[in-house]
Amino acid sequence: MDAKLGFQPSVIYQDPKAAMRWLAAAFGFETAIYIEGDDGGFVHCQMRLGESLISIGEEWSDDFKSPLKLDGKNTQLTSIQIDSDVDAHCERARAAGAVITAEPETQFYGDRTYRCRDPEGHHWSIGQTVEDVSREAAEARVPGVKITGWL
Amino acid sequence: MDVPPISPLLFYRDARAALDFLQRAFGFETRMVVDDGQGGVIHSESVFLGHVVMVCGPPPGTYASPLDLGGRRTGSVHVQVPDGLDALFEQARAAGATIEREPADQPYGDRVFTCLDPEGHSWSFGQTLKALSAEEMAAATGRDIKQGL
Repeated sequence: MDAKLGFQPSVIYQDPKAAMRWLAAAFGFETAIYIEGDDGGFVHCQMRLGESLISIGEEWSDDFKSPLKLDGKNTQLTSIQIDSDVDAHCERARAAGAVITAEPETQFYGDRTYRCRDPEGHHWSIGQTVEDVSREAAEARVPGVKITGWL
Repeated sequence: MDVPPISPLLFYRDARAALDFLQRAFGFETRMVVDDGQGGVIHSESVFLGHVVMVCGPPPGTYASPLDLGGRRTGSVHVQVPDGLDALFEQARAAGATIEREPADQPYGDRVFTCLDPEGHSWSFGQTLKALSAEEMAAATGRDIKQGL
């Protein structure tokens, strides 16, 4: 996998500079590239987590808005997969001011996950694989659910 | 399970139709669908260049399709490809993507197009034509650029 190829979610903020600081404190994102205008205003930012990149965007048109402007609604969320202590990750995010919307819990498919909301209302889901679960075993744990494809 | 560190999850009114569109328009391969038994998709994974995008819907709770918000959205997804950008653009247009910007060379060395899918999620695709240093990029764009902070 090439870090520079593939999907890079862009997350829209009313205050992108504050978001950059918060994402570093809460989740450990590092600034990969930051572009600002002559007036010191925010232009563009990419942040890195391991081999993955996200973009931080501002509300640059009427169609790109922070959840603050949309009654807390989210049209997408960002999923972060880690390979170490998800409970400790959650405590770090909570200490940074994340609103934990689902406490760490082991899911039927073998990942231990938690979900949280950042200061502008964007949702994040963080997971760590803690158990190798077969498709049949996963289906059996959730009556009524049908799974196509499995890894 | 092989999942890269960061994956976007997008919400749709009709997740099945969205998965079909993403495959036809962009070539994303659906590798898993978790069906709720009532026509909805509670989880799915589609793969492109070894990365994963997740699609689900109808949106639960505080989530929404851009269709529910008058076309507004709280994010977008950029996809960086190694080659074949113009062919991918033609494929997307033929599949019915709403083209916002046709492929064009950008001052920072990439060729980029942007489009909307049928529910109004915004996608941009880029291919690097010329890798620029931070100094070259600053000169090309007239911006102050800080890299690798």
